[in-house]
Amino acid sequence: MSGEGRAESRRSASASRPRSGRLIFWLAPLALLPLPLFLNQYQQYVLNLILMYVPVGVGFNVVVGNLGQLAFSNVAFFGLGGYTAGILMAKLGLPWWATVLPAGIMGAVAGCAASVPALRGVRSFSLAIMTLAFGELMRWTYIRSEWLTGGSMGMAVPASDLFGWRLDLESHKFYVFLVLAVAVVIATDRLLRSRVGRAFIAIKDNEVAAAAMGVPTGRYYVLGLAWSGFVVGIGGSMYALLVGHLSPDSFNLIELILEFAIIMVGGLGSLAGSVVGAVVITATPEIFSNFPGFEELIFGLLIVLVILVLPRGLASLLARLHPVFRDRYYEGA
Amino acid sequence: MLMMTPQLVVSGISTGMLYAVVALSMTVVYKATTVVNFGHGDLVMAGAYAAFVFTAGIGLPFVPALVLALGALFLFGLAMQRALIEPILTGPHLSLAMMALAVGNVLRGAARLEWGNETLMLARPYPQTSFLLGPIVLTMDDIVISAVVLLLLLALFVVFHLSPLGKVVQAVFQTQRGAALVGINVRAFHGTMWGTGAALGAAGGALLALNTALTPDMGAWTLVRGFAAMTLGGFGSLYGAVVGGLLLGIMEKLLGFYVSTAFIDITAYVVTIVVLLVRPQGLFGRVAGRSV
Repeated sequence: MSGEGRAESRRSASASRPRSGRLIFWLAPLALLPLPLFLNQYQQYVLNLILMYVPVGVGFNVVVGNLGQLAFSNVAFFGLGGYTAGILMAKLGLPWWATVLPAGIMGAVAGCAASVPALRGVRSFSLAIMTLAFGELMRWTYIRSEWLTGGSMGMAVPASDLFGWRLDLESHKFYVFLVLAVAVVIATDRLLRSRVGRAFIAIKDNEVAAAAMGVPTGRYYVLGLAWSGFVVGIGGSMYALLVGHLSPDSFNLIELILEFAIIMVGGLGSLAGSVVGAVVITATPEIFSNFPGFEELIFGLLIVLVILVLPRGLASLLARLHPVFRDRYYEGA
Repeated sequence: MLMMTPQLVVSGISTGMLYAVVALSMTVVYKATTVVNFGHGDLVMAGAYAAFVFTAGIGLPFVPALVLALGALFLFGLAMQRALIEPILTGPHLSLAMMALAVGNVLRGAARLEWGNETLMLARPYPQTSFLLGPIVLTMDDIVISAVVLLLLLALFVVFHLSPLGKVVQAVFQTQRGAALVGINVRAFHGTMWGTGAALGAAGGALLALNTALTPDMGAWTLVRGFAAMTLGGFGSLYGAVVGGLLLGIMEKLLGFYVSTAFIDITAYVVTIVVLLVRPQGLFGRVAGRSV
């Protein structure tokens, strides 16, 4: 199957693909613009949550799906971004918009730190264990740095505005989040379609062969993890604004599973998949939030089902509808 | 100040025994199938809850309940391997890690749905007394846990080193296809080893539940410590898992007392990160060759 499928996807990746299909990517966000008018407060909040999980999923997918590394440190980037934004707003009184970039940079720094073990040759299960420990260590740090983060009780994030545009209204947050989410998706798309993205594919498929071909693998590890950290850190700052409260419990293993569910159900290594996953997975727990434990059960079952039945996620179903959804950054197994 | 050291070492060994049995159960699965089970912590949790159900729920005495719990988890591990792990065994490591993590998540969700966040305790089947050995206080918990773990260790040693099964383990670990060629039923072997690993984990969970409260989240706590012990000792080494677990237990107690109480929580994380950065093969592991 692989030979034929691969040839087919190569052909679709070539320049002959009709450009008009890509219009949908520009029309979809535009179509969303009037959406808040039709929704109540709570539905708007869920919508914002979905938009927030777009960068988080996209960033995670770059490392796991495109670079092919078992790095479980995403929640650490997410939490660092969130706390950076929250602390800058609560302690220094900065407006929210001024914290987005610092949050992203903080995430990128953490991404560089997380690439150190990968550079030292730690791979596969060992890398997973190590990054898992890193994430838990970060959560412990939030709990212990009470003077800065409010400890296990958490900290409140003050309301903010964007040059007079009030950001305590869900509908206002929506437009800001939409811009950020679209920007992240476009930037990541460009990154993955460039020589960098092709280097990621080469590393994922066969690292030794990639190095032998002259791909500086180490540099791309750092780049991939730093970009992931940057994007997820921005997601963290969105989280701080959206929820208005940061607590260490928001960045635990359950959160990691949720983010994993986003990229697995959406489609590994697929940008469209990250977005679809964010929509599907974020909406699910809000439906079942009355039963503690139920969402864990559902996510677990969903991931099991997807791995067994639909290993390329919902994005592979979309690709059958229209070739424009076919992911071009994910060749081979 | 240093007067406390022997006492700390003794209670560290008692905690370390628990880590050792968890690390050992993960090593059994890893050695047999070269898969690291990221859902293992939740299997430990499930074992503890199973023991709770058989004692407090059904009302059996402790020992038969423990045996039933181990049996139940053995079957669960076997079923998990057959239905979920085997179909994707040749796939990327990511799918395997995710599958195990997802199964663990289902178990945790089920436990939370059924018992919520209520605090459950496993009733001790023995009086809670303590003995004074010179300056050292030895509790009955310490003695029972250590005795059970030592028995399990002895049984594993016999199986892996003195019985013919040990050779099978070695053969399958080295090359699965080669093992199949010389007539080893690799499939049955994998299933049995997953079952054994789950049952051993359940034993660890039941012992853990003797002096800590049962919560659905105890899996993550166990998983991190099991990983730390495995990493410290060296991946895939049975001795390594035991020595790593004991060392980890002792280090937690000593660092927690002499340096800062913070170390009780973070020793496991710090050990994992430092060992993988400085000496990835651990104390007893062999340097793995890289396959191209």
